[in-house]
Amino acid sequence: MPVGTGSTVGALDALADVAARPEAYAAQWKARTGGRVVGILPMNFPREIAHAAGVLPVLLQESREPDTMGRHLLAEFYCGFTRNLADSAAKGALDYCDGFFVADHCTQLLGAVDVVRAEAPGSPVFLGQLPPSLTDEWARGEARSMMRTFVDEMARFAGVPVGDAALSRSIALSNDNRTLLRELFAARRAGNAALSSPQLQAVVKSGMVMDLAEHTELLRQVIQGLADLPRDNRVRLHLSGHLCHAPRPELLAAIEECGAIVVDDDLFTGTRWFSTDVAEDGDPVEALACWYLERDRTAPCPTRVKHETDWEDTLVEAVEASGAEGVIVLMVRFCEPHMLYYPELRKRLNERGIPHLLLETEHEGLPVETVQTRVEALLERIRRTAPVEVSR
Amino acid sequence: MTAPTTDKSSRLAINKAGGKMVADYWDRIFTARERGEKVVWYNGSAVNPIFQAAGMAWCHGEAFSARLAAQHLEGPAQLAGQEYGYVGELCSYARTHLGCAVLSRKRATGSANGTGMVGLPEQAELAGRLPTPDLFVNAYAGCSTGQQWDDISFRVFGKEVPIFNVSMPFMWSNRPGEGYMVGEEWERSSRYVAEQLRELTTVLESITGRPFDWDAYRQNMAYLKQASELRQEAMRLCRLTPAPATFWDWIASVAHINFLPASQELVDFFAAVKAEIEQRVADGVGAIADERYRVYFDGFMNWNHLGLLAKKFARYDVAVVAGRYTHHAFWQEPQLIDPEDPLLGHAQNNLLCPMNHSTKTIERLVLRDCEYYGVDGIVFHSTRTCRAFTNPQRLVAKAAQEKRGLATMFFEGDIADASYYKDEVLDSRLTAMLETIDVRRARA
Repeated sequence: MPVGTGSTVGALDALADVAARPEAYAAQWKARTGGRVVGILPMNFPREIAHAAGVLPVLLQESREPDTMGRHLLAEFYCGFTRNLADSAAKGALDYCDGFFVADHCTQLLGAVDVVRAEAPGSPVFLGQLPPSLTDEWARGEARSMMRTFVDEMARFAGVPVGDAALSRSIALSNDNRTLLRELFAARRAGNAALSSPQLQAVVKSGMVMDLAEHTELLRQVIQGLADLPRDNRVRLHLSGHLCHAPRPELLAAIEECGAIVVDDDLFTGTRWFSTDVAEDGDPVEALACWYLERDRTAPCPTRVKHETDWEDTLVEAVEASGAEGVIVLMVRFCEPHMLYYPELRKRLNERGIPHLLLETEHEGLPVETVQTRVEALLERIRRTAPVEVSR
Repeated sequence: MTAPTTDKSSRLAINKAGGKMVADYWDRIFTARERGEKVVWYNGSAVNPIFQAAGMAWCHGEAFSARLAAQHLEGPAQLAGQEYGYVGELCSYARTHLGCAVLSRKRATGSANGTGMVGLPEQAELAGRLPTPDLFVNAYAGCSTGQQWDDISFRVFGKEVPIFNVSMPFMWSNRPGEGYMVGEEWERSSRYVAEQLRELTTVLESITGRPFDWDAYRQNMAYLKQASELRQEAMRLCRLTPAPATFWDWIASVAHINFLPASQELVDFFAAVKAEIEQRVADGVGAIADERYRVYFDGFMNWNHLGLLAKKFARYDVAVVAGRYTHHAFWQEPQLIDPEDPLLGHAQNNLLCPMNHSTKTIERLVLRDCEYYGVDGIVFHSTRTCRAFTNPQRLVAKAAQEKRGLATMFFEGDIADASYYKDEVLDSRLTAMLETIDVRRARA
């Protein structure tokens, strides 16, 4: 079945191309505009600040290259993303970036960023730490102060002043983009099966890399001509986790090939990315600080400390809202916040009788047969326990 | 080269008395409830002088995990953690401590039969000895996992125990002129942490129901300053050849400087450490029988194998004279402490955790140490579940080779999970490194 009109298909192809080769897009953008590119590290640096400075923010993605030169720069017990980042830096594959900005304090990420700084000595690497403990009395002031610092540093990097008006315009544009992404994912949740999980991932991932206006325009084309394709009777699944970077599209395809359909997620390269808008009225720097502090309420993140919100609550609510029959937790191997939080998720899913499966991922090696065997076992368990319709 | 087999290590005699001080401390923790004391579980930096001044019993999570590992008692706690759902690649300090939390919580709520994998005798041994907390305090520098770990402890206890978080900025050094104890980043971070420590005192007042005893706190910090100065002076004596004490001796007194009560007894202990080392210097006695090589140890301690490693290096005639873990932590900059107004110096020493600097700074500190102690090479303990300590190692090794011509080697192990240590791998790599040093000496 076609996913939509010709323009939808064309837009999807364009987005998929960027998602597959972000560095090629960035190089082409630089050649086209003469502008500067800044590599930003997941998960909390606000791209609006770079956009307001006229710089292209590229959220660095895991490459598809096997790790080689970087293998001796970080130990093998780091997550695939950070090891690959170190490898990319060692190979010069990040040379298209004129600088790097980091707002997160993940230990493994810091290790990788230190490698980036060592391997790209000519490019500035600015680390500003947003307060990780969100409910402290001083968190709001600290977050605001750091957002101000980011704005000033970005202005210094870009060589242009970054005023409130420009920031507000970027925030509005970014909100538009998030709204469209939410619309697309809401359609999936409501039963439209026109787009597969790999296709939706490409839509999000490309948005982490592209010029905002350009991505938003392509998104509109996707949505305008999207077919309304009701989902069939495949087992409905929710995908959870996979922080900081995207799971391999082949993994998503392998899951759906088993007879499942993904109806919702809380992946970073999924609903987590566009969960929260930035307020458009008032001081834009203050608004960015609030966005950072509030994001954990809409999409609780195990990398932050916030005692009032619980990831397991939003997970169960999302499962109930979408009608998902089971959950696959995708955990990046060696991701410590996720390893720490996983038992809380498991406990709640067990309490609610929601079948689930933990799958760990690595940069290299996707054991499709093993994954599919485990997913099939989960689906079989779900089917066995599903109510049976009896015809009279 | 065949591995020699006799024990050639000669650890400081004072370590025995030191061991009793640590055992007594833990016994007091285990019986804190009987004395009606409030108990705080904390992780990360040494905020304990504040707890001591508040009249609370303090239990350092990492220290408890380390102690279990050193006593080879970590198994049941790690099994309980595994049963609860913690993956084996998670920080083994956290896994062990959270396993204790799970057992402790089950016992406190009267559901000690809840775990199927850990036998009841082991549960009683562990969970019965660690008193449940009245407060969690997290003050982790240089490790995001440390901060998240206490958030999870808070959740394991059903969010019923209050928690206070001290955020410690990572010392990255964005600008020229910023670095170890210098620059705007250092000044700003110091004030930020000091203010949080001040806030902690008001939280403790609400827990204990008593005004915070600032005089007691000042006295505690004065004791710590004295103890640290003695420790630093004694450490510097190990520059001499043969080294009168080794890294393993300093490991044996980490607990003392890190979390034992600040007191005259503590000062006296480090005075005795220094005196014994001075006597060895006077007598020309080394910490190992035949010192032929001097190396620096970079990595977290492998608590499961402390005795084994001390003996192994000595058997190869290797004096491990200093290390990042022992020499760049634990009040190592005592001059920053003003006993009359100690909060700022307290905060600054907390910030100077050996994991809380970017690679640029760590490289400078490690190479400076290597030069000071006259080492032939660096042994890197690639600490499997401690990414924070492992972070800069590969780049520092590269710099040590290229800038100082030092021999380097890596061996894999862990802080509290014995399964990651491979004895034969260490033997073969150490042999290779020593041969490299021999060849270089022959060519010189």
